[in-house]
Amino acid sequence: MDICFLTACELARKIRDEKLASADIFQSFSKRVLEYDKNINSFVECYDKPIYETKAGSSELCGVPIAIKNNICIEGREINCCSNILKGHVSAYDATVIKKIKSAGLNILGTTNMDEFAFGSSTETSAYGITCNPWDITRVPGGSSGGSAAAVAARLVPFALGSDTGGSIRQPASFCGVVGFKPSYGRVSRFGLVAFGSSLDQIGTLTRDFSDCADLLNIISGPDGFDATLSDVKVPDFRQYLRKDFSGLTAGVPIEFFEEGINPQVKNAVEEAINLLKDNRVRIKPISLPHTKYSIATYYIIASSEASSNLQRFDGIRYGLRVASNNLDDIYKKTRQAGFGDEAKRRIFLGTYSLSSGYYDAYYMRALKVRRLIQEDFKNVFDDVDVIITPTSPTTAFKVGEKSDPLSMYLSDIYTISTNLAGLPAVSLPCGFDDQGLPIGMQFIGKSFHEGDIIRLGYSYQNLTEYNRKAPVLNYE
Amino acid sequence: MNNEFETVIGLEVHVQLKTKSKIFCACSTEFACAPNTNICPICSAYPGVLPLFNKKVLELAVRTAVVLNCSVNDRIYFERKNYFYPDLPKAYQISQYKKPLGENGWLEISSGKKIGITRAHLEEDAGKLVHKQGYSLVDLNRTGIPLLEIVSEPDISDPQEAFDYLTYLKLILQYIEVSDCDMEKGFLRCDANISTRKKGEKQLGVKVELKNMNSFRGVRDALFYEEKRQREVLSSGGKIFQETRLWDVDKSKTIVMRTKEEAHDYRYFPEPDLLDFYVHNELIDAQLEFIPELPLSARSRLLGDYGLSEKDIDVLIANKSMLRFYEDVYNKADDKRKLTNWFLGPFLEQINNLPKGFSDVTISVDNFVKIVNYFCAGKINNVAAKKVLSESLTTDKDPDEIIKEKNLLQISGTNELECVVDRVISENSAAVGEYLNGADKAMQFLIGQVMKETKGKANPQVSRALIEEKIKK
Repeated sequence: MDICFLTACELARKIRDEKLASADIFQSFSKRVLEYDKNINSFVECYDKPIYETKAGSSELCGVPIAIKNNICIEGREINCCSNILKGHVSAYDATVIKKIKSAGLNILGTTNMDEFAFGSSTETSAYGITCNPWDITRVPGGSSGGSAAAVAARLVPFALGSDTGGSIRQPASFCGVVGFKPSYGRVSRFGLVAFGSSLDQIGTLTRDFSDCADLLNIISGPDGFDATLSDVKVPDFRQYLRKDFSGLTAGVPIEFFEEGINPQVKNAVEEAINLLKDNRVRIKPISLPHTKYSIATYYIIASSEASSNLQRFDGIRYGLRVASNNLDDIYKKTRQAGFGDEAKRRIFLGTYSLSSGYYDAYYMRALKVRRLIQEDFKNVFDDVDVIITPTSPTTAFKVGEKSDPLSMYLSDIYTISTNLAGLPAVSLPCGFDDQGLPIGMQFIGKSFHEGDIIRLGYSYQNLTEYNRKAPVLNYE
Repeated sequence: MNNEFETVIGLEVHVQLKTKSKIFCACSTEFACAPNTNICPICSAYPGVLPLFNKKVLELAVRTAVVLNCSVNDRIYFERKNYFYPDLPKAYQISQYKKPLGENGWLEISSGKKIGITRAHLEEDAGKLVHKQGYSLVDLNRTGIPLLEIVSEPDISDPQEAFDYLTYLKLILQYIEVSDCDMEKGFLRCDANISTRKKGEKQLGVKVELKNMNSFRGVRDALFYEEKRQREVLSSGGKIFQETRLWDVDKSKTIVMRTKEEAHDYRYFPEPDLLDFYVHNELIDAQLEFIPELPLSARSRLLGDYGLSEKDIDVLIANKSMLRFYEDVYNKADDKRKLTNWFLGPFLEQINNLPKGFSDVTISVDNFVKIVNYFCAGKINNVAAKKVLSESLTTDKDPDEIIKEKNLLQISGTNELECVVDRVISENSAAVGEYLNGADKAMQFLIGQVMKETKGKANPQVSRALIEEKIKK
């Protein structure tokens, strides 16, 4: 038995039954990272031993290792969002999710690579180098949570946390063949998540299956008294939705998502999955989300505007990089010029421009209005359906360096972005492989705070298929 | 001064709201702590932190808006005001822009004129920079302290009126206990907008913003200077430019800080980390409970029955708790007139010598009244009464006990005084002779001798009568 091929729930059971010790599990994964991650580069930092003590029996998942995206603060550990401007900055506090993870007895194995400040869909903009897709290391793992997705896919860690602003959990989950879950906005505290687009960001999970997903969501969800945007909607026990039961579910399939720009193999795989669900008596209904076509434009105005403001605190005064000068304006300019990568600068420019006086109404204000229309679209269709099924991304994993033009990169999130604009829960799960052997992902979108519906559908689907059980072969020479 | 012009002034006042913790985190608002001790990851803007709104701030702000006769918006939201400066760790200030907490109010000042209040909005304070030779230090203790910015309409027509407005605004804020308004500690700050136009013109002149005034007097002086400067420029055919000028208190002049072209674009947008807040009627009603009789109505009430001069009333209403104390002792005292004289005289004199003035006073109403009643009844004389007050003022020690300990009871009995008077008369025959020759001053001297002999306890009236009686015999 290879310890590293067990899921989090399986590992936890063996710990409970005293068949495995959490220290040994930690060592096994730590060793595997050492052995294989030189080719994948999914970890920024992997600890050789646990960084804190855990109390036995403190949760279902006690003793299981987990990886954390490098934009979530762990007290006493470097938090840099894979940006030069924050390199060397040690967090003074634990994010809410980290507090919850620690008290649940999970062991943090390390922090994972990401696009700088989560700006990207390929994990190519990291100051720590690119992460490679474990299924084909000439390809990207997706992004921005590419490190977390690649690490889970390569069995370097049982599961990981990521963050999702426009698809940053789901798109890499799709490219790497794992389950990537973005909860409803307001479900998981953002306190301690370095902000990108504050009205869109949500912490979520990257797991191998829905059992691990439900258990991890149980741990990280709920109020903390630090995030004002957190909802007071009651958090259910997500495990109750882990049942093979399609009954009463109606799924909407938006016609717009299957028209232009979609790779035929992706389209076929998702349609096949939909047919399988239909055979299992899920009611399928064609629906329309007419404003989806504006979602990329809307998203890049809103997310970049918020980001331009959120990233202003990286000014070289209190922490992180400072390029010295005897002139205050020069400190700002030189520090930020040296510290931020091209994509970060591009988004800061875009956001600053959109919020500038004279342009505010034409860009930011208008984007807010379109955002409302997109939310209305979802509200209307959710009168008739419980979940929406779409592809996660138009393609499978593309080659490293293939998308040099930012706009074509942005388009790889075309199916995921609108759910962030509407604050809805969504998950990407494996539904096939293309002719290159690369994973294909499909997306389930649920009603706000109805994570249970998409967990149930996903769990049931995975019980009918094998796609999530296949692991990449890591024999790179 | 050139009379063809008139001056238009509007004031922007920042008031620090009196809360225990900051507006968006749990840090203390205590003043004068060691630099960077009242800070946390939230107010020093570490990566990943989020603001959480302190609801106490909303209560104080609503109370103020109501007192300033503003309409209170039922939906409150915050916006980000973006700019880089080392004292602003997030590089944006959480503030209110499009929809302030309160709008369209007014404040009546002592002249009876109503000054319009354009808006009152909430925001967080920035930190403090300490400039050294070749470098600057940042202190973030003040970062995130709640402020209410109160913007007046351009209704103020001269520098003295601006001074009156500020004086009365401060008084009102102290009455409703939303702020200590201590300008020296920066709890209240004021910027002024001033423009000049030809008399009778409707159009406002070009506005100049004045900053860096550290006192109400400074505001008045800066406005006087600027009024004169603008009139001179206009009289000689010049133009006023829209700009921000700093008041230089040492040179007594304003100097240009930045011109219109250098003005910031703050890129305001709704703060996504905070949800909207709703001001319900219950919240407003609850705040009404905290609004006492305001100084101007106390003023007109006191003008009636109390027999006080306007000057005395202004002294009394300048401090709400002192005014309340005055009215309490007034109601209980036997001799109201003497009480008032004693309150405004010896009592205020002693208060003025206390480090924190009336705030240091702990004497109870009953003990205070006791002292004054004893004095009025002749039980103790003026000198003794002052002694007792001084000892009880900040201790509330029982006057009876002090009188007993110090043996201060006035000697009014003829028998007790007789031998002292006899001795004084026999030892001061020269003065006796002068008095008999019509020199009234000599009597004062003789009474003084009696006081001296009795260590100040003799009743002066009884002493005088006794001396006269004995001399004329």
